Amino acid sequence: MHTILTVFKKELIDTLRDRRTLISAIIMPTILLPLMLYGFTKMSNSIMKKETEKKLKVAMLDAPQTFIEALDTARYEVISGMDIESGRDAILSDSIDAMVSFLDGYINSINTGSTGKVNMWYKSTNLKVKDRLSTVIDDYEQNILDNRIADMDLTKDAINPIELYQYDIAPKKEQLGKLAGGILPYLFIIFCFTGCMYPGLDLITGEKERGTIETLLTVPASRFKILMGKVLTIAVVGLAAAVMTILGLVAALKLLPDIPAHLLETISNIIQFKYVMMLFVMIIPLSFFFAGMISAMVVRAKSFKEAQSILTPISFVIIMPALIGMMPGIELTWTTAAIPILNIALATKEIVAGTINMGHYCFIVATLILLAIVAVFISYKQFSKEGMVLK
Amino acid sequence: MIQVQNIQKTYNLSKQQKKELQTQASSINAVNNVTFECQPGRVFSLLGPNGAGKTTTLRMMSTILKPTSGDIIIAGESVVNNPQKVRSKIGFLTGSTNLYDRLSPGEVVDYFGQLHRMDKNTLSQRKDQLFTQLGIHDFSKKRIGQMSTGMKQKVSIARSMIHDPEVVIFDEPTSGLDVITANSIIELIKDCKESNKTVIFSSHIMSEVDLLCDDLAIISKGDLVYNNKMENFRTEYAGTSLTEAFIEIVNNHQDQLV
Repeated sequence: MHTILTVFKKELIDTLRDRRTLISAIIMPTILLPLMLYGFTKMSNSIMKKETEKKLKVAMLDAPQTFIEALDTARYEVISGMDIESGRDAILSDSIDAMVSFLDGYINSINTGSTGKVNMWYKSTNLKVKDRLSTVIDDYEQNILDNRIADMDLTKDAINPIELYQYDIAPKKEQLGKLAGGILPYLFIIFCFTGCMYPGLDLITGEKERGTIETLLTVPASRFKILMGKVLTIAVVGLAAAVMTILGLVAALKLLPDIPAHLLETISNIIQFKYVMMLFVMIIPLSFFFAGMISAMVVRAKSFKEAQSILTPISFVIIMPALIGMMPGIELTWTTAAIPILNIALATKEIVAGTINMGHYCFIVATLILLAIVAVFISYKQFSKEGMVLK
Repeated sequence: MIQVQNIQKTYNLSKQQKKELQTQASSINAVNNVTFECQPGRVFSLLGPNGAGKTTTLRMMSTILKPTSGDIIIAGESVVNNPQKVRSKIGFLTGSTNLYDRLSPGEVVDYFGQLHRMDKNTLSQRKDQLFTQLGIHDFSKKRIGQMSTGMKQKVSIARSMIHDPEVVIFDEPTSGLDVITANSIIELIKDCKESNKTVIFSSHIMSEVDLLCDDLAIISKGDLVYNNKMENFRTEYAGTSLTEAFIEIVNNHQDQLV
């Protein structure tokens, strides 16, 4: 144990002085990710607000006076004197936002109780234009409908025979777990992997490339213990990256603008010791699995660049099951619980939702421990080969 | 004492390697039935052209590589049967200064001392002694990545000698160093000899060999082609420089192979 801890202590100091590892394992998940999330939400809210409040320039073709009068002049500017061609060109060049054309016979159709036809042109790339104008037209239509109902001596209830009341009794925690619970494992699995990747490259291939491995192999310590010290360091950095991701996300959610109070309460409800520990217990073997797998793969590489080219496609293989775990309809079963990465993604969703089946959970943890042992054993076998360790 | 007993190192060749070496053979002997002895208090020089098998032999002595057959007994321990005990008795230094750039000399030497299971006080005293002797104190807290090649080589020496090994293995220790740093290595080899350590070193610099060497062996294409005391060598090749004699021996062997 002395040798393992000595190697671990040295490698940890060495790793924490490496800028790439610090950025990928600590700074990205704790600072940049929350900042990006905060910045994106703030910017998106600001853009939406601006688009909602912006005064829209709308070309009107043959519009009835009642419709023009119904428009709020503070929010809409009516442009007249255009035809369809010039209106379309004006929309494409962004000199107006939309065009509404009431077709021939519109007023006659409305007056005779039939359907009047209206065309609307807009660019879907201009946010909110379609929604805002549709709302105006819907309100106008509702007004015509109310008048028709009144003319026919009917009540509104007569044309609405059923009034449906819906009650969603799923707890807020479960709703949040199913909706947002998928993104959490996706992020911490990626950060755990990248957190393991840089120390893995540096401590295994880097040591081989620099030639420091030769002198290290002349100390009275077994290769197994030297490797264990390295794997422990890689796993601890990966674990730290995953934990930092979770903490960073929680911090970001608490700081996000315009988050409803009930949602904040739900988030606080999720961050309970029991649930955090359940996540932690899964992430520990996951980090060792990544550390063992990365060590086994990069030990073959002769240079840092070669090792990077080996690991880059692997990161896509890791992302795929995490992405599948985000899909709706993919549930945690005994089958999915046996699929690495997917199982941790689905279990996290269930833990966040508070609906985890403890049998599934224990099976997943056992599977992850087994995988970690196999990965570390394979990396030891590789590390024991002369040809693998020396340049 | 080092007893090299009929060691052989065979490498299996991949398809790519066969193509590069233009051979149909499935394996290649890097070292072929080599036997020699190095005595305590004497400096043994292992010479040979590039690719002759010197580094492979030294790597087998330092337990980095395992001999395919034969054995090496170092200070009474077998590299085949008891490599860990051998490692506690050897110091290994190569010409390429292989160190950790983000650590300081103090941290590197502490790391290797701890891996050699030295107790805290002994490690501290020995480190202080080596740092004084090599003049490392002035830059002992600086990161290795910011140091000159000479400074790095001094740290490499301290790292290799921290556990006061009985046997010291130097693989081209002065390669690429300036005269002053190379001289510090030569002084270290002399010190090791005076303190009755067994020293083996490989080099391409014949003046160093002439200056330090008590026993001499020459390897060519994996075969041991010369092994004798330096005084006998000088008598045998009187009037010929070491370089000329070395070239003659190697050429004769290669002619025989052809």
